[in-house]
Amino acid sequence: MRRIYGVVILIVTICLIYVLDTKIGDIPALGRFLDPVNGCWASAETVNRDFTAEIRFPELKTDASVWFDERIVPHVRAENDHDLFYIEGYLHAFFRLWQMDMETRAAAGRVSEIIGNKTLNYDRGQRRKGMVYGAENSLKAIENDPRTKMMMDAYTEGINHYINSLKYRDYPLEYKLMGFAPEKWTNLKASLLLKYMADDLTGYTEDIPLTYLRDVLPKEQFLLLFPEKITGSSTVIPAGTLFDSATLAIPKVPEGAIFPKFEANDKKISKNYLPVFPEKQDGIGSNNWALGAAKTQNGAAILCNDPHLMLNLPSLWFEIQLQTPDRNVYGASLPGAPGVIIGFNDSISWGLTNNYRDVKDFYSIKQVETDKNKYLFAGKQVPYEKRIEKIGLKGMPDFLDTVNYTIHGPVMYDDHFTAPGNYNKPLAMCWMAHNATNELLAVYLLNKAKNYSEYVDAILNFQCPAQNMVYADRLGNVAIWGQGQFVNKWKEQGKYIMNGADSTTLWKELIPMRENPHVLNPERGFVSSANQCVTDSTYPYWYNGYFIELRAWRINALLNRDKKFTIDDMFKLQNDTHSLLAESTIGIFTNVIEHLKIKLTSEEENYLKLLKDWDKELGAESKAASIYQIWWYHFYNDKWNTTLKRVPENLFPLPERTMQLLVNEYYTNDMEKETLETIKHIDDNVILKSFKETIDSIKILEKTIGIQWYMVKNTTVKHLSRLDAFSYQHLKIGGWSNTVNAAKGDHGPSWRMVVEMGKDINAYGVYPGGQSGNPGSKYYDDFLQYWVEGKYYKLQFLPNNKEQNNNSFKSCWTLHP
Amino acid sequence: MRFILSIILIAFIASFVEYFLPWWSIAIVAFIVSFAMAQKPAVSFLAGFLGIALFWLCAVLFIDWSNNHILSGKLAFVFKLPNYGMFIFITILVGGIIGGFAAWAAALLRSPEKV
Repeated sequence: MRRIYGVVILIVTICLIYVLDTKIGDIPALGRFLDPVNGCWASAETVNRDFTAEIRFPELKTDASVWFDERIVPHVRAENDHDLFYIEGYLHAFFRLWQMDMETRAAAGRVSEIIGNKTLNYDRGQRRKGMVYGAENSLKAIENDPRTKMMMDAYTEGINHYINSLKYRDYPLEYKLMGFAPEKWTNLKASLLLKYMADDLTGYTEDIPLTYLRDVLPKEQFLLLFPEKITGSSTVIPAGTLFDSATLAIPKVPEGAIFPKFEANDKKISKNYLPVFPEKQDGIGSNNWALGAAKTQNGAAILCNDPHLMLNLPSLWFEIQLQTPDRNVYGASLPGAPGVIIGFNDSISWGLTNNYRDVKDFYSIKQVETDKNKYLFAGKQVPYEKRIEKIGLKGMPDFLDTVNYTIHGPVMYDDHFTAPGNYNKPLAMCWMAHNATNELLAVYLLNKAKNYSEYVDAILNFQCPAQNMVYADRLGNVAIWGQGQFVNKWKEQGKYIMNGADSTTLWKELIPMRENPHVLNPERGFVSSANQCVTDSTYPYWYNGYFIELRAWRINALLNRDKKFTIDDMFKLQNDTHSLLAESTIGIFTNVIEHLKIKLTSEEENYLKLLKDWDKELGAESKAASIYQIWWYHFYNDKWNTTLKRVPENLFPLPERTMQLLVNEYYTNDMEKETLETIKHIDDNVILKSFKETIDSIKILEKTIGIQWYMVKNTTVKHLSRLDAFSYQHLKIGGWSNTVNAAKGDHGPSWRMVVEMGKDINAYGVYPGGQSGNPGSKYYDDFLQYWVEGKYYKLQFLPNNKEQNNNSFKSCWTLHP
Repeated sequence: MRFILSIILIAFIASFVEYFLPWWSIAIVAFIVSFAMAQKPAVSFLAGFLGIALFWLCAVLFIDWSNNHILSGKLAFVFKLPNYGMFIFITILVGGIIGGFAAWAAALLRSPEKV
């Protein structure tokens, strides 16, 4: 009898072990996870961990060293490029492996392998937009160049050395939580990561909604609301800069049916016409500027950059210094790709903002009715090239998706995968990111460029995503290039969906990259960019894009002052929260409410008074800032919802365009407040309605989280797994997308850098996160508070030496072959 | 005294074995020790429970203390527990139960005459 009990208990024990060794839903295998030796506890890093180690890497050619400063920024010294990038790969994996894995999975449309059915549509979208296709193409270009092949191979070897050394115990915490394991790294993954960035920065397109709008609105109104170049743009290349004349002939607009018309039966939604378009991510923007020697107090050029990207933990960026006898570079690297992306070396410094010229176009494809495998092009029936995408689904059989490739590119949308707005005819996508481009070569050369001409030679290899690349050197020179690979387009080519059956709509010649807009040492003494329009109308080639202006106006107004600037001024400017939008519109709002002479409650009067006394700063604790932003939000949506009732949601005129229209309507004499007209205007009612809505919103907020601006806007730095426990919310930081310090909800300044390129190089930087990707490490989030408060770390740029004074470092790796 | 000895043996051997084998090796250790020590089932259960719990508690307390509760605090949040102490408690409980059950089974399976 007792034995039987024994057997029963034994079976119960085994069952218990089995259950605790199995992941159930979102709950990890608890036994394995809680094990203090091998489980989650292994990720609890000792707070005073000494990283010092002596490591043997058989693949290294000679000895090398890595010094870690007190923020555990690694300073790598190797004797050759191979060893350098090998060690960079190892370091990236050592601190950020899970993040690199997730980001490349996200790029490749392989998230469902670990998540399951939930993310299938996301993965399909990635495959159908040709992410893997583009990454494979670029990898060929990367591996065709001996320099980047060496760089990539060494980097991958370094990552794999780390992965191969791991036991379950050493896996990053997230693998244990989510129940999967690291896989071998490949060169393709790094290529995918670069395409992931290209997608983030050039994946946005207005072609589809603009096509609807063009067909729905009267032409005059359409041009008024959606001008190609906004009036008064303070362009990236200062107005008046002389451009070389174009070496290519500007193509004429072809005759014939180059744009298909949308017909009622193309849209399944003619009755309830409110399709949802992806919201314009106007938080993805950035600032950079460089002041020439004559504009600074120390007489040395200063370069500043703050790219506004997704605010995630682990951060997108990883700080590093890379040294060999012929290069010495410091800056922000992307875990998953070799080199330094934004930074400086001992001769030059550079920074990036997104250029936003349109390099992604859509073509309407005419299917051959009798043969599903063919489409019409130039009067002929052309077979599709088929690419079968196998998408792994956790716990289910693979999902197979056939993607048809046309002469234009992959058919992203068809009746199996409908376009936004439910447009259900096939749409092919032609995108610069599909091309075999080698941005890594630009990074390789840029990292060791010694002067302006080497800088230019380097960046001419940077094709997609196009970037405004700012430059400063130790001789006091500054420059900026609107750099990328662009197509010599006829007017309006690619602005709307084009007719894919007509050969005249094809992308033809590429513009020689030396003819990209650029300027060296402009008369005004500085260069700057903040995602605004690139050039004035004197630039010979035609282009369109998604340019925004508010930050650029503010930055240029401040830098244009007759003043010699200091590094402190730069810190202040990067953290500037002054709202031009508010400055131009708040007077109109409050005046209209007063002139309408409606009865206000004492509460409403108080709110109005707050706004009138307000300094137009979107400060973290400002209450007026919240009232204004909510009011603007309601006004903007009410206004365009009324005017554009029948057009797709979320493609409204830009806020700055709305502001201009409002100012033109209310002021007879531009922006001078004295001449505000008190007669009735069509927007009076919208202003009143939005005021009432604002008061209602504010009342609700007062009862819950309060109306301090940082609480209302909720700047969040989210862990990539979306787990709240590893994320930070309601960070006490000011600003919004209309201010230089563009700290929005989940986007914002992802790396603030200020470099003075003088006799000494004085560099400062900070990013919202920490060097370690491990949530159990004190280095996981240790920069975050500094970033919130607008403070900077002094970056330790070591001289190019084999030996360093080891006493000034926290720990050191000694590496041997 | 055999009770105390069991606890110490289980804790000590498990701490060594778990470094090389998966987490469920704690069950094997508790089973074997309990089988060899031949105790009453209830006593065995307690020894198994306390042995593994003791080992896990010591390990976790040391790790957590040198980590300033950074990890345990976050994981408590993940599992919706009020504080890091609860997370430690749950950890210990899971280890203890597995140790206890394995030891209990061993005591029952061992021939009853010898007790």
